[in-house]
Amino acid sequence: MSLQHDTHLVRMANQIAANLGGGRDEAQAVANICRHLETFWARPMKRRLVACLEQDDAELTPLARRAARQLAERLAEREKREADQA
Amino acid sequence: MIQHFDPQHDKALSKDLGTPAPAADAAPVSLEIDGVAISVPEGTSVLRAAALADINIPKLCATDSLEAFGSCRLCAVQVEGRRGTPAACTTPVAEGMKVTTQNERLARLRRNVMELYISDHPLDCLTCPANGDCELQDMAGAVGLRQVRYGFEGENHLQAAKDESNPYFTFDPSKCIVCSRCVRACEEVQGTFALTIDGRGFDSKVAAGQAEAFMDSDCVSCGACVQACPTATLMEKSVIDAGQPEHSIVTTCAYCGVGCSFEAQMKGDQLVRMVPFKGGDANHGHSCVKGRFAFGYATHPDRLTTPMIREAIDQPWREVSWEEAIAFAAARLEAIQAKHGRESIGGITSSRCTNEETYLVQKLVRAAFGNNNTDTCARVCHSPTGYGLKTTLGESAGTQTFDSVMQADAILVIGANPTDAHPVFGSLMRKRLRQGAQLIVADPRRIDLLKTPHLEEAQHLPLRPGTNVALINALAHVVISEGLEDQDFIASRCDTEAYRAWRDFIREPRHSPEASEAITGVPAEAVRRAARTYATAGNGAIYYGLGVTEHSQGSTMVMGIANLALATGNIGREGVGVNPLRGQNNVQGSCDMGSFPHELPGYQHVADPEARGRFEAAWGVILDDEPGLRIPNMFDAAIEGGFKALYVQGEDIAQSDPNTQHVEAALSSLECLIVQDLFLNETAKYAHVLLPGSSFLEKDGTFTNAERRINRVRRVMPPLAGKADWEVTQELARALGYPMDYAHPSEIMDEIARLTPSFAGVSYARLEERGSLQWPCNAEQPLGTPTLHADDFPIGRGRFAITEYVATEERANRRFPLLLTTGRILSQYNVGAQTRRTDNQVWHDEDVLELHPSDAELRGIRDGDWLGITSRAGQTVLRARLSERMQPGVVYTTFHHPGSGANVITTDNSDWATNCPEYKVTAVQVEKVSRPSAWQRRFDDFDRAQRGYLAEATQREATS
Repeated sequence: MSLQHDTHLVRMANQIAANLGGGRDEAQAVANICRHLETFWARPMKRRLVACLEQDDAELTPLARRAARQLAERLAEREKREADQA
Repeated sequence: MIQHFDPQHDKALSKDLGTPAPAADAAPVSLEIDGVAISVPEGTSVLRAAALADINIPKLCATDSLEAFGSCRLCAVQVEGRRGTPAACTTPVAEGMKVTTQNERLARLRRNVMELYISDHPLDCLTCPANGDCELQDMAGAVGLRQVRYGFEGENHLQAAKDESNPYFTFDPSKCIVCSRCVRACEEVQGTFALTIDGRGFDSKVAAGQAEAFMDSDCVSCGACVQACPTATLMEKSVIDAGQPEHSIVTTCAYCGVGCSFEAQMKGDQLVRMVPFKGGDANHGHSCVKGRFAFGYATHPDRLTTPMIREAIDQPWREVSWEEAIAFAAARLEAIQAKHGRESIGGITSSRCTNEETYLVQKLVRAAFGNNNTDTCARVCHSPTGYGLKTTLGESAGTQTFDSVMQADAILVIGANPTDAHPVFGSLMRKRLRQGAQLIVADPRRIDLLKTPHLEEAQHLPLRPGTNVALINALAHVVISEGLEDQDFIASRCDTEAYRAWRDFIREPRHSPEASEAITGVPAEAVRRAARTYATAGNGAIYYGLGVTEHSQGSTMVMGIANLALATGNIGREGVGVNPLRGQNNVQGSCDMGSFPHELPGYQHVADPEARGRFEAAWGVILDDEPGLRIPNMFDAAIEGGFKALYVQGEDIAQSDPNTQHVEAALSSLECLIVQDLFLNETAKYAHVLLPGSSFLEKDGTFTNAERRINRVRRVMPPLAGKADWEVTQELARALGYPMDYAHPSEIMDEIARLTPSFAGVSYARLEERGSLQWPCNAEQPLGTPTLHADDFPIGRGRFAITEYVATEERANRRFPLLLTTGRILSQYNVGAQTRRTDNQVWHDEDVLELHPSDAELRGIRDGDWLGITSRAGQTVLRARLSERMQPGVVYTTFHHPGSGANVITTDNSDWATNCPEYKVTAVQVEKVSRPSAWQRRFDDFDRAQRGYLAEATQREATS
């Protein structure tokens, strides 16, 4: 795992949060950020970002962190669903 | 009676009708010409009416691309009940008019006119380059000229010196008849006003600028004058060399996103000249220096003609057969996937290749590679347009035709430079501006569009790079706070809740021009005036370019533009709209064709089970439902080690993508890089497999321009290396065990039409019939859709988006006090791979750094000094050019030459939504230096070595 790559993903997530956060209520903003990550990010990027949640020093902004958590939940749900189907 | 439906009539395409068509909706007028009763629209000239009835009145100064001028007197006619012999070109038709075009009196008059012309014209017809295509010669024949009673010994212009300064055409004033067609073409068609008639009476002569050589004048070498000239006075050098072409094929230009139609005029398989096609729906017979003249690259000796392979990038190339190269590539891709997983490889489609080829590459990636790691260079230019317009208007495309600008009353140009980057559309826009439309330009630089002499009133908003969103919010704030919004449009067409939320947001005082002045640097009063102009002039039209998209907030800015258009009701009819000016010929098409990692063709998301299911059924594979990697993500993954192989078709990421050293590191870490291109481009120097590409002249297909117009590309010569690009992709797919079996690109288009709702009605047969089609083209819109969103939006109602200004992380500070922004110039095209291999080099053979004299003075810099430009990403060295077009604190360069290293300086900061690089804002320092940068010295060594490896391969082949 490269720290530089993680830092880059965290920076991108923070930028998304900054742009989708302003002027909206927080729950709505978190949902929008999570949906953006789901729609546009590749599978390995999503997994890496979720893994960053485990790192205490990952510099995710509070809004980006909440969105990443929501993404983690949705990925887990999906994996469970796929496992059930298989 | 013969009814003529002008201008749609076929005759308008097949011959010169003398004067332009009148307004299409003009009332019919009936008249009689030489006893033939005809009906034409009011405003038609007698000359045009006669030509439509196949009565061909002799003419010299008249041509249907220019307004009537009435100077040659050759088209004199007689009208019953009127005195004298009026010129048919300047005489409009009238109800009941009876015209005589041929009788003894007119014949004598015309012969006299011709006699005078010919008495001052060289009699070298047999050896004249215009022989076979000379209107003067034709007219001498038509009027029956048999003698010149004045003799040839009198005062004349026969010794006038030729001007051969332009690389593409000569000006031979000894052959000039001073009909003014060139001067009028320069004014009316091109809008440059570089030519004039100097002197009076007998001394009258055509002059470029202040009687300078063409190359020293303001001439932009668009060639409109050459096309308009009826004699050999202005003549293509290629025709002087080769003689007259013997057949021609209509095709589409492969340079910018205007997508001009051309007649490729041929001699066997040799291209003699490109003549813009009058029937071209995007360009109506006009062109620029690139499209008309810069085609020599297609037959340049640098073209790759044999496939090549090598084990590692520090080894010489080995020429091999197509079979061996494809098998080598396929084996490597398979081995890498077996070892590193399905997602370890990907492909990049080309925005220069055809729709069919682009479609095929993304199909190869999704179906044969089995992942969604496909992307295109639209990533680095207009991906924010896709995101922003889809979010707000529901469709990832510009809303108008180019012609729509002719009905605009206020034109707002943001971060675009149409006279350089989209010249033919730039000329059309200037034509509208000369008619009185108002102009607002938001750009850090004072672009040429602002220089038009008629535009004392033009408004320039010279904002600081990186502050677009603050500016667009301020404009919208003025619209809302001053009550200039279109409430009916908002109520009937827009989502109420989204509007209310946006309205509350934009009304906040922090968005006022007074508040944002400190951010943008644009005086509040100028912003208020611009907002009022745009909102109240009538039809407000927005045109934007990469100065909008290539920012950390590119997507936000696109949404801000859509908000402004929605709020003022400037959507859904002619003359208004939101118009992204696309950089490359097929950027629109490559996006439409599913090049992006998250979208199947027609912008259908990979996670949409219904759409994906259709593709799975047609392609016979299970498709991944997760988006793949975008280009910058691929680079990151390659450096990290998880991404190992890339197939790149017609794209030079090593030169065009930002932070060159990062890109070089990524490319160097690949185990297999397959490059398919015309030339050994910068990316190919890192490749293991080189597959020769085919130029647009060598294949069939379609391009889609910035107005969603699908135009046919037609093969005019065989592929130099034996295969069109789509055939190569097909063979690679087969070698990977995925069947593809297309016999012709039309079959690929048929498959696209079956799977893509917006293309359902598109076929080659329909394109032949209609000339071009604008998508959506389907059962509801069988003839295509010129204007989007006329009745509703694909998402139902227009959706206002909150556009918070977030300052870029790339900021000027004490170490990097200046902001660098990058762009293009007229004569070169993007990475320059094509134009650098033509005579366009004479206009721009090196990239320079433009800076304001005050910044230069501060640093002791003089014009022409070598400057080191340093950013957080790297350093390069360019020559200085002092320019007041720049605002102090902002410097500018182009990126057409690889050794310039413009992208060594740009950073990998990018648009938050799409990862489109922030090319337009880089904090830099500049200082005088005495030698090239370390990167440039490395580049030169690497470049020399790689050229050597190529030369070794071709020499070995030659001697074996």
